Amino acid sequence: MHRRRAWLAFALLAPLCIWLIVTIVIPIAYLVQLSFTTTGIFGTAAEFAGLANFQRILGSERFWQSARNTLVWVIGNGLVQVTLAFTVARLLYRRTAFTRFMQIWIILPWVIPGVAAVIIWRWMLSGIGVVNYGIQSVGLVDAPISFFAQPSIAMATTIFVNSWRWFPLLTVILLAALRNIPTELREAAMVDGATENQTWWHVVMPLLRPVLYVLGLLGTLWSANVFDVIWLLTRGGPSGGTATLPIFIYEEAFTRFRLGSAAAASLFMMMFLLVFVVLFLQYGWGRDLRRRR
Amino acid sequence: MKRIIVRLLPNWVLVALLLVLVFAPFYWIAISSLKTPPEVIRYPPTLVPQTFTLQNFQKLFASTDYPRYLLNSLTIALGTTLITVPMATLASYAVYRLEFPGRFLLLRLLVGTYVFPSILLLIPLFQIMAQFGLINSLWSLVVVNVTFTAPFSVWLMRAFLESVPYELEEAAALDGADFFQVLWYVIFPILRPGMATISIFTFITVWTEYPFASQLIIEHAKRPLPVGLASIIGQYQIDWGLLAAGAVFMALPVVILFAFVGRYFVEGLTAGALKS
Amino acid sequence: MRKVLVLILVVAYGFAFAQTEVRVWHMEQPPYRVERMQELIDAFNAANPDVRVVQEVQNWGDVVPLALGAVRARIQPDILFTIPDFTVTMRATGAVQPVTELAERLDEEHGFLDAAIDPYTYDGEVWAVPMYGMVMSLWYRADVLEDAGIDPPSTWEELLEAAEALTGDGRYGIGIPGSRSLYTDQVIYNFMITAGAEDIFDEDGSIRFDNPETVRAFEMYERLYQYSPPDSVNWIWGDAEAAFAAGQVPMIVQFTVITTFDQQTDEPADNLQVVTIPVPEEGGQRGNIYYSNAAMILTTDEDRRDGAERFLAYLLEPETYGRFLTMEPGLFLPVTADGQDAATFWEDPLVVAYGAQVETMIENSQYGALFGFTTGQVFDEIGPISAQNLLSQVVQQMVVTGLSPEAAVQWGQREMEDAAP
Repeated sequence: MHRRRAWLAFALLAPLCIWLIVTIVIPIAYLVQLSFTTTGIFGTAAEFAGLANFQRILGSERFWQSARNTLVWVIGNGLVQVTLAFTVARLLYRRTAFTRFMQIWIILPWVIPGVAAVIIWRWMLSGIGVVNYGIQSVGLVDAPISFFAQPSIAMATTIFVNSWRWFPLLTVILLAALRNIPTELREAAMVDGATENQTWWHVVMPLLRPVLYVLGLLGTLWSANVFDVIWLLTRGGPSGGTATLPIFIYEEAFTRFRLGSAAAASLFMMMFLLVFVVLFLQYGWGRDLRRRR
Repeated sequence: MKRIIVRLLPNWVLVALLLVLVFAPFYWIAISSLKTPPEVIRYPPTLVPQTFTLQNFQKLFASTDYPRYLLNSLTIALGTTLITVPMATLASYAVYRLEFPGRFLLLRLLVGTYVFPSILLLIPLFQIMAQFGLINSLWSLVVVNVTFTAPFSVWLMRAFLESVPYELEEAAALDGADFFQVLWYVIFPILRPGMATISIFTFITVWTEYPFASQLIIEHAKRPLPVGLASIIGQYQIDWGLLAAGAVFMALPVVILFAFVGRYFVEGLTAGALKS
Repeated sequence: MRKVLVLILVVAYGFAFAQTEVRVWHMEQPPYRVERMQELIDAFNAANPDVRVVQEVQNWGDVVPLALGAVRARIQPDILFTIPDFTVTMRATGAVQPVTELAERLDEEHGFLDAAIDPYTYDGEVWAVPMYGMVMSLWYRADVLEDAGIDPPSTWEELLEAAEALTGDGRYGIGIPGSRSLYTDQVIYNFMITAGAEDIFDEDGSIRFDNPETVRAFEMYERLYQYSPPDSVNWIWGDAEAAFAAGQVPMIVQFTVITTFDQQTDEPADNLQVVTIPVPEEGGQRGNIYYSNAAMILTTDEDRRDGAERFLAYLLEPETYGRFLTMEPGLFLPVTADGQDAATFWEDPLVVAYGAQVETMIENSQYGALFGFTTGQVFDEIGPISAQNLLSQVVQQMVVTGLSPEAAVQWGQREMEDAAP
């Protein structure tokens, strides 16, 4: 019986596995090959280049700037999104008609194309935009803020726009996780004299760990991967201040026409992410959950 | 100190802020698209439109091929769904219901693929697609979108599979149904909500995918919506009314979709997430 | 037997009347330019039943990867509009076909301006047919300068003084971009030319960007930039025009502002004035950026090539050429001798209303230069240097990152040396 089942399992899995081998494994192998060659502008012959591409990338100021930016980007997005998601999930915790409505529609920013989100925010954040009008009329600033003028401000703005797009997804998942926690547990804690905040920190949070653990891993990798919002909002500027690794790779390939070193940079990025995943699985908050399985 | 302030802040203030954060941008873009050009760029901006016009939408339809982009997006979404749903459903059944050597490793690898940074595939996939003459073909986008959606869909399906009691399968098997009959008549019908969730997830992925669509498709006539409409972000002039109209029409189809299936999708998505 | 004959006849008939499709890519995105192009195409198609020209509008922001991808997938357009550096990039793919013969024929007929055809003539061939020229000048609001008692500036010092005097009360003295874009490339290059730093390559192809003249130009740009609005760090062409039309800035460096000024303001035509780019007091030279826009032929198919050649020749006929140029009146300048006198050009209502300004621009086009195409030799590095907008990145190193002009120019020198593909 078991043997037959194993055979069946392989048959059922075959389409997916073949598909993923063709579209992920083979391209990665090709990427590795590409990283050892220099090619001219598309379509011209490749020449073996040894480690030159890797040396070039390691010696490139822009690459390290992009790597730093990616770190800031991932941490920034994580902080903003988790904060927003927690605040909102707490607010919507009670089941009412309003929260039922919100639970569905809050996800709207996540389901519209990034291009639309970028258009919306570029318009709202422009010099004559409604955000500048708002903060000026309540007296926060005297002159319109240029939200993309300085690298650090532009980074903050871009993180904000991306978080606006992604936090709803987090919120919805957290909310569902929260509602999965039996109310008796919290009530019991309250009866024992814990304040609401204490209950949150000591009773609710630990129970959310499995979900937070997965979200931390996925969220990090997903935000490291973001391309469209950054590209359409700032093209990585000003002065490379918002260029994350995907932007660097794209530019290396399509504006500096160096497919080989773009491939090398891709491999470095993959390596960074692998290191992160390994560290996260090893030392991440909630690693003990793994053993429990 | 901060904590006190937070506690003193009535919840309704936070709720109001939340509503503004999430929905005000949609309100703003919608009314901007309905204002006349002078009013759009008037400063200070008018929070309630003083004028009304449909000219921005007329311009959108005159200067872009919106129906064509929409059709392309729907075609890609349909093609992707038709491949992803059966492939992911079968695979999901295999990894979560059947015992076989290497199961755990395979699960690990699957997790690896749905967190895989897709941007890394852009360069090699472009070269490979070029070899096969798939550049500028909607098929190329179907192919990459299946790659992005299938592994995650396998995982989404897990929660739905777990709602199928083993006894049901066993009972059917005792009645003399063979394996495929059980799958077809017993398992699949119960998994329908899961398949619906996957379909919507696939649709949203296709709907929002940008980098691959912008590289693999060359001609306007084959562009999906986000890339097609990105070209209205003008280089020589910036027409905010037109851009607003474009953003509204990019959001509208998903808003309509969500009005019907939003609840099921969110339930399906969270059900999958909680089982992790 | 009869069947075969009929078949042959049918096939022959089909061939005789088969339409050859000629696909044109251009980057003239505003709807009214697309519309004018379509009018010309429709007229051409009507007069040439065997050819069907179709246009596809692209964007300068992403045409480079798209065109490279199209070549890679062998679905490139038959005609691709271009600027000199883009031609260098595209030529590396091997898809660009020489048009020497066609260019010579058209030259005899219409007389190309040297500045227009030279950037496309190298390696013994002509690589694109010049279609229109674009030249940058300093545009200003006459009334604003008059009210402030300022004469139109003709030297750098006068320009700085004017920009300073005009700044205040929510107004900025001048609008110059600090973005990473082709627009910034173009504006800074005007200052490089007037400072005498127009060459970025030596005769042997080595980069000579880091020199005292270049530094001088960037110093000037930095000083001027303080009178430009803070959001000019994002500006591309449209933003500068919008700010000018809205009265936020009374001076900008731009190809033309005529259409925007005419449509978006109620001001009389003579309130919009134009002068040549100011020059340094000492050791400067008159000059400005001149872009020769041209059309490349990317097809090897004989019929398509024939169709493409006929279409380009048709556009350069004086009867149609003026209508082609006035798809954006005052932006596109004639590149042919007979085009400069074409009635269809001078009759355009906007050219009539802004005749003096257009004449100034045509005069300026004699003093034009373009980065990377000044020495009569063309080096491959100009492809990636332009594609990544390196000049504008040097500007950003200065105005955003805060490097001194010397250090920024040194940075630029390194990046340019590193640009070899």
